[in-house]
Amino acid sequence: MEMDLDKISNLPGHVIDQILSQLSIKEAVKTSILSSKWRFKWATLPHLVFDNQCFPVSSQDQTIVKNKLVSIVDHVLLLHNGPIYKFKLSHRDLLGITDIDRWILHLSRCSIKEFVLEIWKGQRYKMPSSLFLCQNLVHLELFNCFLKPPLTFKGFGSLKSLDLQHVTLAQDVFERLISSCPLLERLTLMNFDGFAHLNINAPNLQYFDIGGVFEDISFENTSHLAVVAIGLYVNVGDDQKQVYSNSSNLLKFFVHLPLIRRLEVQSYFLKYLAVGTLPGRLPIPCVNLNFLSLRINFNDAEEVLTALCLLRSSPNLQELEILARPEELAAVAKFINFQEDDHSSFTFNQLQLVKIFGISGTQRELNFINLVLLTSPVLERMTVKPASIDGSWELVKELLRFRRASTIAEVIYLDP
Amino acid sequence: MHPNEVKILNKCLCQMSEAVMAVVKPEMKSYIWLQTADGSVQQVEEEVAVFCPMICREVIQTGMGSSKNYAISLPQRVNPAILGLVLDYCRFHHVPGRSNKECKNFDEKFIRMDTKRLCELTSAADSLQLKPLVDITSRALARIIEGKTPEEIRETFHLPDDLTEEEKLEPLRNITDDPRIRLLNRLYARKRKELKEREKLKNVETVEEQLDDRSVDDLLSFINGGDGDTKVARTNRSKKKNRRRKDQSKVLHDLSSACHVGEVSNGLLASSSTCSKLQDSAVTSFSPNVEFDDGDIDDDIDPAMKEELDREVEDFARRLNSDWPERMQEILSLGQERRLMPICMGKYMSVDQR
Repeated sequence: MEMDLDKISNLPGHVIDQILSQLSIKEAVKTSILSSKWRFKWATLPHLVFDNQCFPVSSQDQTIVKNKLVSIVDHVLLLHNGPIYKFKLSHRDLLGITDIDRWILHLSRCSIKEFVLEIWKGQRYKMPSSLFLCQNLVHLELFNCFLKPPLTFKGFGSLKSLDLQHVTLAQDVFERLISSCPLLERLTLMNFDGFAHLNINAPNLQYFDIGGVFEDISFENTSHLAVVAIGLYVNVGDDQKQVYSNSSNLLKFFVHLPLIRRLEVQSYFLKYLAVGTLPGRLPIPCVNLNFLSLRINFNDAEEVLTALCLLRSSPNLQELEILARPEELAAVAKFINFQEDDHSSFTFNQLQLVKIFGISGTQRELNFINLVLLTSPVLERMTVKPASIDGSWELVKELLRFRRASTIAEVIYLDP
Repeated sequence: MHPNEVKILNKCLCQMSEAVMAVVKPEMKSYIWLQTADGSVQQVEEEVAVFCPMICREVIQTGMGSSKNYAISLPQRVNPAILGLVLDYCRFHHVPGRSNKECKNFDEKFIRMDTKRLCELTSAADSLQLKPLVDITSRALARIIEGKTPEEIRETFHLPDDLTEEEKLEPLRNITDDPRIRLLNRLYARKRKELKEREKLKNVETVEEQLDDRSVDDLLSFINGGDGDTKVARTNRSKKKNRRRKDQSKVLHDLSSACHVGEVSNGLLASSSTCSKLQDSAVTSFSPNVEFDDGDIDDDIDPAMKEELDREVEDFARRLNSDWPERMQEILSLGQERRLMPICMGKYMSVDQR
């Protein structure tokens, strides 16, 4: 009997959901013609993904593509039966069309938990007010959108993860958004505009990744923040340095980050941190910091001093990554004493991996490498890669000479 | 002796014998007894068995499994052969410190089995709440389904082909034999044209209304996805009209190849061979691909009839505009009610009359 041989149709609903959600939406919907039992199995899928892989719609005519997409999403949403927990719309040819408003309204009635919208072409898409009614949202991911919540918006009470890239928000909207999502754990912000002052007040925040143009950044009440990556895409002007010369940006930055475990300082952010009078080391060492990545301009004395201060305050560092930013030489070549005179020298008792990329072989860079080798007794591997082939032979000769505190250290030179 | 006393005595004796056994047994391992639905009992190393959350819970909460008489009853979906497979999985994975690569290699080899067994394994793993095993088996099943035609899938999983041709089409089919729906389609086309005209007149205004404020006309245009595309659609339509008689399947395939849900029936498909050819090709529903529908209709009707139909459409439009919201509700709910019945001419069968 066929009945006995059919072992798949009677699997529990959630298992069928799991199987079907690993197929593209097209294939999942196709199962509706398999047999009478399979007619509506797809209609309870809690995850709906509409992207290029799911349905390749290839046509040069923009209107045909758009009509097809709209028709498909409309059909699926209308025939769908049950809650929709995840909805992703990300088709390369999809311009910001107003049908999206209608779909979001529908989703706001379906207890949506994860919403991902990526508008790949055209200008910023204004999110409809119904988005802000989705109180069950746990993850929100928007690409190329413009957010202006209604005044009655009280925040997303369940939101844990927020990913905004190429978005426009007003300053007050941004602050309100962050502070009104108390459960927020992950925040990603890339290429934003409309606001320049970042004051992050998020008691449960653990992961913070931003890259963009901003004027200042401060944390408040972020005692759980463990992973931070910050990229400042615009060069901090020298005039700014005059203004903030009394307070140290570095100090201000670390005041509210006691548990920081991973830190990536990208683009020009180290220059921002260098503003202000620097201490030799931070008042409270970053005892949990075990991964540090710095994009640094070795020709800028302030940046180097900031880096040293930070390194001296990270006794438990396990992995260090230095990415050199080749810039013009500073007007005044300041001498930097890499070894501390007054305090006992620090050692990296846990440092095992070091990467130094993009250097040119200047004396300062060599001194820095020398310092790291001397202060890391358990170092296993240091990888050095210069920016260009010029002077690389000299660099190798110097590297060969350096004494190493670790007996098991490998110094590997990579061709540029 | 009182039955309870007997029970207690038995338990004590069991435990005593186990204690003796423990001394006799050279290994320090402890074993769990599992009973499958068919009544057979197996002895399994405890550390392996408790890798299944369901078994672990039973052991902790009820203390069962310590002896043959108190074997843990496994869910019905676990038969002895499948239990063996599950335990093989547990035996490998319960060991800590395995590298990701090792685990991946094992998993890939492990799920190589016939489809029937894979389904049974998925079912068993789910009833034992062993999520990692459900994950890899469901992924394997998805990979089997992927890329196959419906017949191939039916053959692989022994599914009965018990849907009628109409059922395969509903609720997404192109219903062209109901004159009501045909008229509706023409009405949509007409409305869109009007809207286009109206748009041209007020093209300076950039409208940013909320969905609630929109008029019925605008709602219609949203549903049809038409907002200035009519012109383009028109030319496409005429092109397709010419090709239609020659190569219907090709045209259908081009049109909405993305929406693969069933076959298109225009009353022309008779044999199942044609059906299967078009199985994976486009399906048109009664709203978005209105352009194509209209083209169909125009072909069949001579001019005199056309005039009459136009008049009917105007009439219909008037009626529609008067009670649009209720009408829309009716149409949508019709689609739902009539899942199993094709829409026949003039006869609306209510649910209890089927």
